[in-house]
Amino acid sequence: MKKSGNLLSKDGTRSVLATLISILIGLVAGAVIILIVGLCDSKLGLTEAWKGIRLIFFGLLSKGQQAGRLIFGFNSTNIGDMLFRAVPIIMTGLSVSLAYKTGLFNIGASGQYLAGTTASLFIALKMNTAVVSPWIVWILAFLGGILAGAFWGSIPGMLKAFLNINEVLACIMTNWLAANIVTWLFEGSGLQCTEGTKTQVIWKTSHNGVATAKMGLDKIFPDSQQIDGGIIIAIIIAILVYILLSKTTLGFELKACGSNRHSAKYAGIRDKRCIILSMALAGALAGAGASLYWLSGTTEFHWQTYLSLPGEGFTGIAVALLGACHPIANIFTGMFMSTLNVAGSKLSFFTGYNEYITDVIIAVIVYLSAFSLLIKTWLGKRAKKAEEKKIPDVVYTSKNMPEGAKPPVSENTGKEGNEQ
Amino acid sequence: MSYLIQQTLIYAIPLMIVALAGVFAERSGIINLALEGIMIFGAFIGVLFVHMCQKHGIFALLPGAANWGSMQLFEILGMVIAGILGSLFALLLGFAAINLKADQTISGTALNMLAPAIVLFFVRIIANQEELRLYKGDAAEWFMIKKGMLGLGEADNFFVNTFLNKVYIATYLCILIFIVCSIVLYKTRFGLRLRSCGENPQAADSLGINVRKMRYSGIIISGFLAGMGGFVYALTTSNCMSNGDVAGFGFLALAVMIFGNWKPLNIALAALLFGLFKCLAAGYSSIDINGDGIKLLYELSKHPTWGKVLNPNFYRMLPYLISLLVLAFTSKKSRAPKAEGIPYDKGMR
Amino acid sequence: MEQATSEAYPYVIEMLHITKEFPGIKANDDITLQLKRGEIHALLGENGAGKSTLMSVLFGLYQPEQGEIRKDGKVVEIKDPNDATALNIGMVHQHFKLVEVFTVLDNIILGAEDTKLGFLQKKQARKKVSELSEKYGLRINMDAKVEDITVGMQQRVEILKMLYRDNDILIFDEPTAVLTPQEIEELMQIMRNLKAEGKSILFISHKLNEIMEVSDRVTVLRKGKYVGTVDTASTNKEELSRMMVGRPVQLVVEKDEAQPKETILKIEGLTVPSKIHKNDAVKNVSLEVHAGEIVCIAGIDGNGQTEFVHALTGLEKPSAGKITLCGKDITKASIRKRALTGMSHIPEDRHKHGLVLDFTLEQNMVLQRYFEPQFQNHGFIKFDAVREYADKLIEEFDVRSGQGPVTKARSMSGGNQQKAIVAREFDRNMPLIVAVQPTRGLDVGAIEYIHSQLVKQRDEGKAVLLVSLELEEVMNLSDRILVMYEGEIVGELDPKQTTTQELGLYMAGAKRQDKEGKAE
Repeated sequence: MKKSGNLLSKDGTRSVLATLISILIGLVAGAVIILIVGLCDSKLGLTEAWKGIRLIFFGLLSKGQQAGRLIFGFNSTNIGDMLFRAVPIIMTGLSVSLAYKTGLFNIGASGQYLAGTTASLFIALKMNTAVVSPWIVWILAFLGGILAGAFWGSIPGMLKAFLNINEVLACIMTNWLAANIVTWLFEGSGLQCTEGTKTQVIWKTSHNGVATAKMGLDKIFPDSQQIDGGIIIAIIIAILVYILLSKTTLGFELKACGSNRHSAKYAGIRDKRCIILSMALAGALAGAGASLYWLSGTTEFHWQTYLSLPGEGFTGIAVALLGACHPIANIFTGMFMSTLNVAGSKLSFFTGYNEYITDVIIAVIVYLSAFSLLIKTWLGKRAKKAEEKKIPDVVYTSKNMPEGAKPPVSENTGKEGNEQ
Repeated sequence: MSYLIQQTLIYAIPLMIVALAGVFAERSGIINLALEGIMIFGAFIGVLFVHMCQKHGIFALLPGAANWGSMQLFEILGMVIAGILGSLFALLLGFAAINLKADQTISGTALNMLAPAIVLFFVRIIANQEELRLYKGDAAEWFMIKKGMLGLGEADNFFVNTFLNKVYIATYLCILIFIVCSIVLYKTRFGLRLRSCGENPQAADSLGINVRKMRYSGIIISGFLAGMGGFVYALTTSNCMSNGDVAGFGFLALAVMIFGNWKPLNIALAALLFGLFKCLAAGYSSIDINGDGIKLLYELSKHPTWGKVLNPNFYRMLPYLISLLVLAFTSKKSRAPKAEGIPYDKGMR
Repeated sequence: MEQATSEAYPYVIEMLHITKEFPGIKANDDITLQLKRGEIHALLGENGAGKSTLMSVLFGLYQPEQGEIRKDGKVVEIKDPNDATALNIGMVHQHFKLVEVFTVLDNIILGAEDTKLGFLQKKQARKKVSELSEKYGLRINMDAKVEDITVGMQQRVEILKMLYRDNDILIFDEPTAVLTPQEIEELMQIMRNLKAEGKSILFISHKLNEIMEVSDRVTVLRKGKYVGTVDTASTNKEELSRMMVGRPVQLVVEKDEAQPKETILKIEGLTVPSKIHKNDAVKNVSLEVHAGEIVCIAGIDGNGQTEFVHALTGLEKPSAGKITLCGKDITKASIRKRALTGMSHIPEDRHKHGLVLDFTLEQNMVLQRYFEPQFQNHGFIKFDAVREYADKLIEEFDVRSGQGPVTKARSMSGGNQQKAIVAREFDRNMPLIVAVQPTRGLDVGAIEYIHSQLVKQRDEGKAVLLVSLELEEVMNLSDRILVMYEGEIVGELDPKQTTTQELGLYMAGAKRQDKEGKAE
């Protein structure tokens, strides 16, 4: 490849750039809202708004405030917490990505996450750790979460495969079903935490001595209460998903089926199996995310879920889309989203604003990613203009292919090709 | 019985109107997954409007301040404002789908995420808590029509008790709007053209119909109805309160729309059915079907075996379960508008 | 109105020096077309020559970069179909522009509705449509839904749409592609009627017979450029085809006598249910294909060919019958099992079935065999082997693309996409080749190439089952013709003994053979 001149013509570069643009627009949108609200609301004012804007961009580095002034710098508590909170959304992000690569929009990660939550907590809290080693309980609970998620994910998968029901609608329904079932199950489970005045909360798994191993991370981030080995497991899983999708025949089949179900079928790939498998795998990833989050021993679950769905599923969509559904990229976009999350809590803590602004930013980013292809195309056009080179229609094999050659017409957003 | 019918209507009417909102979008060719988000936004705007009017004493400025009639006017005004802002919010989806040819599922999801976030952000700043309520009093006190107001205080028959007592004008207004919109969709030039854009935009374009304009019209009407429906939902079911959530009502409306096969009459029936379930889940303990004082469903929920199933949890999830089953059984027959979800591109033939 | 002056001007429409570009391609390059009042003017060119683009410009669907359009000698601007309608220009598109769930009447009035306070008034419209349909012999059922009526009637609806708008310049874009020879005859008559009533007609086609029969003058395009305009009376098919392709065309495929050998494929009593209606799409079809022959299934689109091929290749399940391939019963076998038993399949729709358009060329090349040990090791793909194999096929079959093996299939031209499929399927070296409309939408060069490849495969001893809608292809390529009508094989014909007319009668269901092969 020729160096600088046609950097933009590389697909990967364009994706990364499009992502960065989306992030920037999202953050700026959040900052603008903060500024406008600050100016309109006499309680807040310009100084408060300025604080808020700085926290949005650099919340992760906040070290508190002294005499009303924010102090910034390296803060291992924040980073540890950020890494911990990144775990579930990296996993739901992977879930959405994997399904997306197979041509399915998994809006059901929330439900799968709830299924995983329930199975994990039930196993972890109901098993007697005096008899079974907590380690084994942890593994069983983790696997249970994965299986429950996979099962819940496979339902819309089967509906899609056998009855051709739009997976988006099926996922929406299964999400709310899960929300209701979970409440129902926990209501009669006897697992409610009864200490103090707490209501509608389940015991932490540390109640039972089950908790994810720290894997030495607590040494690196000594002040973080939450950090544990979950992030390492999540990164390993992301790498495994990457290998599955890009290096194996199964990945080839899944992607073929996702890109064009009909031609996959024509080529002898069992399309129905692919769809179900893909949704089950996506569910398993979301379920695993739930397990890693709730088995940490530091989190307590509010079981009255029937009125709203866990946000992790939807943040997962943002994580996936922002990372162009690339499993490795999802690790970073997941961490970015969780950075926002940390910034949000700083915002509520130090200013008159609240953490919901970060949800606004995330939503804006998802909105932008809906037409990220457009941004990419636009970047591509700029690259083309810079090159202004015409490629003759000749036979290229990999041996004689000129470097940096581009197909004459390649930007096409339509689902099926257009004739002529 | 009166209670059952009233409660069912209270849930069914917003469902019906929001499902119709979905129809206008989809018939024009845009999948409006953002119904939930628009409802949330509309509910917030409507509640905020009432809240602010109370706070600044605007109600008091009206002639005959405490008059229940002028309160109805305010209620309608709230609906209109919620509708207009709903339209504006829906335009975000329209812009992405029509101008930018973006993925409609993703943009719809984005709006569903945006609405609660932005609503909660402002609610927290305005009310300093997680929900925005009326500035004073409650919805029943301010807006509910009681038979005494209509001079029917003495009347005690079924009709008056059910349809003229403890009701909201919004309910009847929504029914009227529903009928008008259905007629527009099927009997007018606008309706014919709108539907053609959802079925075959290429054909519409070749006949000189402006597909863009039609789709914008569809999404604006959709946003208006959904925003208004959101406020009606907040007013009639949650005591005029906004907390960035309508508990999946928008999605339920989508299911109603599919169940109703994108046809208004079927949608009305489906909405009534779903409204019934919602009503059972919310008020099962006080429903007196036979009018003899025995609360059958309440008894059942206490029954040692039946009670395990027939409890609020069950009624609550019933609509979703039924939607799923309906989807499963009608998927072969259901006829979604053919071109829905596909961005229209003049260059593609 | 300036009736007098405009009547005197001979050309009703002139398109002068039209240039229209799309990203990467000049679809129209300085094209001039002049339509006389009351003539049938044919626009001839291959697939991709720019005919449809030119007509879309005239109809206001595209804006040209250069050139002007004149109506009755005056320059006009046509920004959208409304402007075209205002100039009384109407068009029957190649792919009908009908709303399937609407009634015929609604389709006709759509965009030109009578209203009172916004409400539709259909009475007047109904009267006018029924008058028009009688006047021109266009039989329709106004209250039927478009999805329920035949293709022929759909076309009549399209024509009525133009007449309802009082158009007098009528564009027909490839109107005969979907019709039987008899229906084509009927359409020609309708066009003559329209001409007699003073309408001017632009007739787009690449079929020389029809052009010779009905048109007054012909304008020829080639690769987006203007070649010339000739009077039909003073030209002949050979000259036209030379103008169209740019070189003398070998209209007949050169091939030796077939040497049929053992039976490769045997189908007995195959029946396939329809997905659309209650009847069976394929009814009790039995046939045999031998090594070393090309058997062609002819018929009009939608007579069960698609379902038949799907049942044969495993994409759909038959309700009865038996399929034997190379002596093995494959009736219930999976798609992959069939492919491995000995079947190559060039599918009807290369975008829907043949290729994964967002995959690269090399990925598409191994779509049928990525799982073979040659290309994978314990489930991990051997990328080097894939690349090597793709390079080999690309060279062997001369598949042209921008970036070689890593080109996205979507960005390739239709001809090269088809070549890639042909390469993939032929290289699997299977005894049976099922080729469904292998030349659809391709230009003459690609058609010739694919035809010669099919003959080559036959000569190497393969059994070839060809499904085609193009009569010429059927007559030229096949060694035996089986005609399919409404899901049944209604006749077996020898291409050397039969005529296009006779074939047409079978295809239209007007004629059929009994079990012994005698005509009834």
